[in-house]
Amino acid sequence: MDPNWNDNQPIYRQLRDKVVAMILEDVLKDGDALPSVRNVAAEYRLNPLTVLKGYQELVDDDLVEKKRGLGMFVTTGAKTRLLKNERQRFLDQEWPLVVASIDRLGLSLEDLLSKADKKKAKAQAGDKES
Amino acid sequence: MSAIIEARGLSKNYGKTRALDGASFSIEEGRIVGLIGPNGAGKTTALKAILGLTSFSGELKVLGLDPYRQRNQLMQEVCFVADVAILPRWLKVSNAVDFMDAIHPKFDRSRALDFLSRTDVSPAKKVGQLSKGMVTQLHLALIMAIDARLLVLDEPTLGLDILYRKDFYRALLSDYIDEKRTILVTTHQVEEIEHILTDLLFINKGRIVLDATMEAVAENFVEVAVHPDNRERAESLQPVYEHQDFGRSVFLYDGIARDKLSELGDVRTPSVADLFVAKVRGEAA
Repeated sequence: MDPNWNDNQPIYRQLRDKVVAMILEDVLKDGDALPSVRNVAAEYRLNPLTVLKGYQELVDDDLVEKKRGLGMFVTTGAKTRLLKNERQRFLDQEWPLVVASIDRLGLSLEDLLSKADKKKAKAQAGDKES
Repeated sequence: MSAIIEARGLSKNYGKTRALDGASFSIEEGRIVGLIGPNGAGKTTALKAILGLTSFSGELKVLGLDPYRQRNQLMQEVCFVADVAILPRWLKVSNAVDFMDAIHPKFDRSRALDFLSRTDVSPAKKVGQLSKGMVTQLHLALIMAIDARLLVLDEPTLGLDILYRKDFYRALLSDYIDEKRTILVTTHQVEEIEHILTDLLFINKGRIVLDATMEAVAENFVEVAVHPDNRERAESLQPVYEHQDFGRSVFLYDGIARDKLSELGDVRTPSVADLFVAKVRGEAA
């Protein structure tokens, strides 16, 4: 596997976000083990300290716990807490950028809603067909 | 933490050519250090001095030993992969393992065989029958089975295809690296190892031009694609290098706060390759 790291954020942070995404998408569920530091380092060809730093961030956020001699595990209720935090983070950090983009492009509320509705309508139509 | 390698004013002349010109650096235990430099910068000479393969002037201690005078003692704790094939073509793979077992007190035979069993290298084959990638795997199997404190890699993946190159570092990371082992690696494929390294040493014209941890590099060096309106302000902050990217000027700064720079344009952390070009070109200018 070869992830595409970007230059805007430190890799440990991107690694943390990767695990967060996996928890949000239910790929990693409460109590699941995270891959070992050594494995992640080898697979992604990263310095083990970088991996450790990324994992430590997750521990600090109470999303992952370290069990001595066993490795790292997703904490109970991690996803619930994460959703709350991620919603806030989206509103604080990502949404202003999206709003700025919308502003720059001069998109109206109707433009945006019609697109969102279309997608919803399509999804619903798909449901009926199946 | 103790220094594994300590060099002070390391110099070496080949006739009139000054290969090393007072290079000073120190490498701590457990670090993974990239020694990066253009051709003829003095990389190989530095490695040779560290391995006790050449005389030098200046001070150099490796694991507390003088590498030139105490080479035999040093070699018990150091292993080395060269950029050129040094295993004789007539040698059988199994003989190579036997040989290492016989001469090296810290060689673990079962480790080498275990590693080889996970590759396509058959013990019955001769070195001459192996592909270049397989020879590297054999080499890696032999050195990874040594319980050494310092591993020196000189262009270890030169001439290998991308799959072998990835496998090489994957094996190193999964089976070898720990906090007691120190690795010094030179390569031109910087982008391949930049995320593995803990420290960077840039060498140019026999001198060390950058000696920093990767953390410090990420903290101190910032690249900004400057909006044309901000050009004057950008220049007044004394960039260390400038290059053009899609008609925009990209400035590299050392030690200026990111917040301050983000007002000028898009900021990002330079890759090691970018930094290298900036440092080496900057020196030449």
